[in-house]
Amino acid sequence: MSHRALYFVVIEALLVCLLSSQVYGWWMWTPGDTVDDSTQNGLVAGYEPNQPIPFSHKVHAGDRQIACEYCHNGARRSASAVIPSTELCMGCHKVVAVDKEPIKWLTEKYNKKEPIAWVRVHDLPHHVRFTHQMHVIAGVSCESCHGPVKTMAKVGQWAPLQMGWCIGCHKENNASISCQTCHY
Amino acid sequence: MKESKTDIQSDSSNTRLVTEEVFIGEDMPFEAPAKSMVAGSYYAAVEEVMPELTVDDDVLGESSGSSETSFALDRREFMKLFSMSALVGASACIPRPVEHIIPTTKQPVDHVPGIAKKYATTCGECSAGCGVEVKTKDGRPIKLEGWKKHPVNTGALCAVGQASIQGLYHPERPKHPMMKSSGRWLSTSWDDALERIGLALKTTSQVAIFTGALSPHNREFYLDFLKKMGASSADLYRWEPNNLQSAVAKAHQLAWQVDGVPRVQLSKARFVVGVSSDFLTTGVSPVYQGRGFSEGLSYQVSGNKGKFIQFESALTITGSKADKRFTIPVASELALVILLLESLANKVVQQGKITQQDPDFLLAQKIISSAKENLDSYKTMFTQEQLKALGQVSDELLMKPSCILSGGVEANYHTATQLQLATLLCNKLCGAYQEKILCFDEGWHPSSVGDGDILRFKEQASKYDVIFFINADPIRSLPESWGMSELLTSVETVVSIQNRPCPIDYYAKFQLPSHHYLESWGDNEALAGLLSIRQPTVRPLYATRQPEDMLLWVASFRGASLGYKDYRAYLQKKWQNKYQSFLKNVSFDVFIKSVLRWGWVGKLAKRRLANNLQDFSDVISLPSYQPPATGSLKLIAPYSYRLGDSRFSYLPILQEIGDSMSTIAWDSFAAINPHTCRKFGVKRNDVIRITLKQSSQGTSVSREVAVFPMPGVARDAIVIPQGGGVNDERNTIAHNLGINPLDVVGYGLDPLSKEPVTAGDEVTVTLTADKYRLAAMQKHNDIANRLDVFRKVGMTKLEGKIKKRKAAGQVKDLDDVPDLYPSLDKPETYMHQHKNEQKQSKITGQTREPSTIDYRWSMSVDLGKCTGCGACMVACSLENNVPQVGREQMNLGREMFWIRLDRYFDGDVDEPGVSFQPVMCQQCNHAPCEAVCPVFATTHDPEGINTMTYNRCVGTRYCANACPYKVRRFNWWTHKFGEMGRKPRDRTPRALNPDVTVRTRGVMEKCNFCASRLAAAKHHAKARAHDLGLPKTIAKNVQTACEQTCPTSAITFGNLKEPTSKVTRLRRDERAYLMLGGDPDHGHYGIKTLPNVFYLAEVVDDEFDTTSNHH
Repeated sequence: MSHRALYFVVIEALLVCLLSSQVYGWWMWTPGDTVDDSTQNGLVAGYEPNQPIPFSHKVHAGDRQIACEYCHNGARRSASAVIPSTELCMGCHKVVAVDKEPIKWLTEKYNKKEPIAWVRVHDLPHHVRFTHQMHVIAGVSCESCHGPVKTMAKVGQWAPLQMGWCIGCHKENNASISCQTCHY
Repeated sequence: MKESKTDIQSDSSNTRLVTEEVFIGEDMPFEAPAKSMVAGSYYAAVEEVMPELTVDDDVLGESSGSSETSFALDRREFMKLFSMSALVGASACIPRPVEHIIPTTKQPVDHVPGIAKKYATTCGECSAGCGVEVKTKDGRPIKLEGWKKHPVNTGALCAVGQASIQGLYHPERPKHPMMKSSGRWLSTSWDDALERIGLALKTTSQVAIFTGALSPHNREFYLDFLKKMGASSADLYRWEPNNLQSAVAKAHQLAWQVDGVPRVQLSKARFVVGVSSDFLTTGVSPVYQGRGFSEGLSYQVSGNKGKFIQFESALTITGSKADKRFTIPVASELALVILLLESLANKVVQQGKITQQDPDFLLAQKIISSAKENLDSYKTMFTQEQLKALGQVSDELLMKPSCILSGGVEANYHTATQLQLATLLCNKLCGAYQEKILCFDEGWHPSSVGDGDILRFKEQASKYDVIFFINADPIRSLPESWGMSELLTSVETVVSIQNRPCPIDYYAKFQLPSHHYLESWGDNEALAGLLSIRQPTVRPLYATRQPEDMLLWVASFRGASLGYKDYRAYLQKKWQNKYQSFLKNVSFDVFIKSVLRWGWVGKLAKRRLANNLQDFSDVISLPSYQPPATGSLKLIAPYSYRLGDSRFSYLPILQEIGDSMSTIAWDSFAAINPHTCRKFGVKRNDVIRITLKQSSQGTSVSREVAVFPMPGVARDAIVIPQGGGVNDERNTIAHNLGINPLDVVGYGLDPLSKEPVTAGDEVTVTLTADKYRLAAMQKHNDIANRLDVFRKVGMTKLEGKIKKRKAAGQVKDLDDVPDLYPSLDKPETYMHQHKNEQKQSKITGQTREPSTIDYRWSMSVDLGKCTGCGACMVACSLENNVPQVGREQMNLGREMFWIRLDRYFDGDVDEPGVSFQPVMCQQCNHAPCEAVCPVFATTHDPEGINTMTYNRCVGTRYCANACPYKVRRFNWWTHKFGEMGRKPRDRTPRALNPDVTVRTRGVMEKCNFCASRLAAAKHHAKARAHDLGLPKTIAKNVQTACEQTCPTSAITFGNLKEPTSKVTRLRRDERAYLMLGGDPDHGHYGIKTLPNVFYLAEVVDDEFDTTSNHH
């Protein structure tokens, strides 16, 4: 690379970098870097991705009044709330709504023993160590962080899930706000 | 008030000025900065006491590829990245990456994602077979821990055992079967390979199996297989290169005509004499004996302490723990033990314990008189002090419960079994067998290796048509001069069944990849009668198979099926035959399930020893001492305690921790006595050529290696540990690193045990003009000019201090330090104000009571117990995802260890005292690093931990500069998966601990008291309180990774708010001191950082107390 070209690239790079914080965000999050800061990449309330089938929490949790922990049965005992296995779905859907297209798809997947790739909605950055168990034990309801899921036909991110929001609640509840509580 | 002490220490060779600034009193509140480098009592490098060995320019030419190129390349990459980012930034916004959650189709009942599951199994890296608790998360093992209920290791694990998990995920593991066809390697299918082998077996019955130490069941299986193939039991060869066990077993066989190796119960001993013993590193079970050392020989809280004296010619870890260590010339161990026997036998008779007609005494006399002639040639080689010490030693041996331990990898001469025989007699005379310090019944399992199998194999190998090498490799383990490579080229079908890249693969027709032990079924009988089970903890990661299953397939392809579906079925059958001897009233199903849960079952076998020894005096013939010729030294090429015979060299973490005595990582080095170095005119990093003349063939072979002047090595010795010189491109970790000293070891044999000799050969040393920079870490994190870093104290002095304090009615309080900044908040109130009042929660509506702080974490490190084995460094790195950086980065001082191991010498360079000090973040309550961080990335936790928030860190490195302990580590690179500096690859994502953030380039990191483990323990305690309906429970028995694995229990972690915890008790111990904490008894408080980590000073026996001239 010639001297002049190098000079040009440096200037260009610096200029654009200064102008665009997006660039900074991208640079921070290079593939392979696992301390990726997802907050730079649009981790905001309102994220509503499409799921492989239009599963409705409104129907299950709202209309049918199925308790959250019936399916998300890890919340009480594990860091992860757990997305239920297909088998759990089939517990009801062997008999319920078997004529509907999505359920046919589900049954087929189950029979073929193919796992389903759901799209993750609530995604904390990897440098945050969150555990459902401690929050459930402390009596924090699911809705405090996940919002009115019972009314959501399509689940989206309700809370901002940013650190200030976490800390606010921790302070209010005499919970620890030491950095190492969540970052290690 | 200022005290300054100066005294001259002089010995025959050098004069050293010892200046000590003790303290500065009230008139000067701050410690005065040192004006110049002050030589302390301890030295980290020999150059400090022998300035003539100083290496002028520390930046020496690299042997290949300068590091400059790598930076140039990376600058270019950086530019590319920048201009590319500009383009991307200008064109579009970056969408949030879509992540998927993939649940199981059918969830196993006992499996909850995110909850770790533990399996009990048995370590497969050496024949000791420690119990291992494998922590698996979501189906993959993430950490190994010693199983605390296992009788061999009771919770501890050595560095090799800890590191073995890297072998499971190793990207260079052989992954699919290969076959050699007209000189080329071809991938093949399992069926094809096994069928071909089966067909080859149809035409011949000349088939053999060569393997390592085996459990009895495993051995039976191989014998069954050989029988089906038409071979006999003589065609099974079992051999381990670490052959102390063979020599000990042979000696007991000759003396008592029994099989077996006694178990050393050091916890019962009060006095131990070692003669080149290596019981703390490569002995029968380093972990078991480490525990014994910790319980029996080190200083106990109750104030008693055993005594350990070692005579040796290489400087070993075991020797470093001796109260007094004597350096003796190479190959003089047998003479020394015979001298000891002489003195001991006479005293036993004098004391009337036995008569002069006692057969033991007569046997001793016979041995002494036959050795008499040559003994005189040694007497001049031992110093007067050593000979005097021998007399004292024999007195003490008879007074206290004691034993003599001799032999080890550093003393692997052709007299090794003779040495054991002489030692055995000494031990019998001093009552070691009687007092069960050497415990013969319930001893180590006798026949895991064959008697003289290696020599038999050498003689017989050429007659075989098919040889299976199963996780054993004579090419790697034997000296070149044994001619194994020529032998094997003549064998038609060599089948190499290995779980790691091995040199023997190149001689094989079939390379069959074997399971890692974490994927295998198996069992082990380490102690006679103690059955320990091995079970798979993960689904096989690659297309590998269990070696025994391969043989079953081969057998059925040959048309001689053994009648078992797989090895698991075979084991079940064997256990079924046996289980009723353990538990009578349960069904086999219940029994085997409980064994799988518990990991072992045992009923230790009793064995009786005859009263009288056989007369073995005729096999003892002491050779006369031959000093090396001018320009020559005697080579000692020990089996390395971390790399073995290079079998563990493919594990990056074991390369990275480095040899703890020399601190050299990623290289071979020649340890030579500094005086000898001066005589030869070589310094550190100078490359020498060592040449072995093979008199039988008139040829000579030479290798080049860099020198490391090592205090404490005998003047006639050159020590090069094994583990280097791997020449195998598949093994990128170890390829072309260092030399294999076995290349310059001549053909030699212990005529009694038939084991190869790896020490004592005379080699010529010639100088070359080359230099090679060894990656030595010894001065990397130097705490310059500070004196109160390491402490040793004499027993009487310590007892005096304890009495004085008791009389004054005081309790030692390390935290009673006048505050440097009284206006600052006390550490406890940091970040806790918000919790001090009652609140009504808006979210749950509950009332939240003001909370108290339940923890103040603290750690104690007992310097008397630390042996420098490096297990803590490995455990820490694996628990906390600490990367391995490789040799080049290490030469730049960029190693990433959260816990490092400092090694200090004191005293004469010929017979130095050696001490180890693990240094981790001291978790200061007034931390200098916190004050300087511009972005609050490092802050204080109310529980006393100095926390590090990676994602806040911008990489100013101010904290690392401010840290007086030099424990902060900066990520100069993102050590990505598949990269290590520019070197090898260790980090497959699967091998990382999912509970700990992986750090990237530009981020500072350091020890955080295993935050993930703390969190897990606290969560467990809270969940328990919730389940039981208690208002609160406090996490107890929390262990950090380093504490958990420490074989000698040198590290104790705990909660100071818990008044009965061990760490609370130890913090009040008289030995306790804070690093750089000055001398509080005299009003000097050092740098007043108030660490939560504290050290317990090493206590030495008064007789050898060299510390009386400093505190």
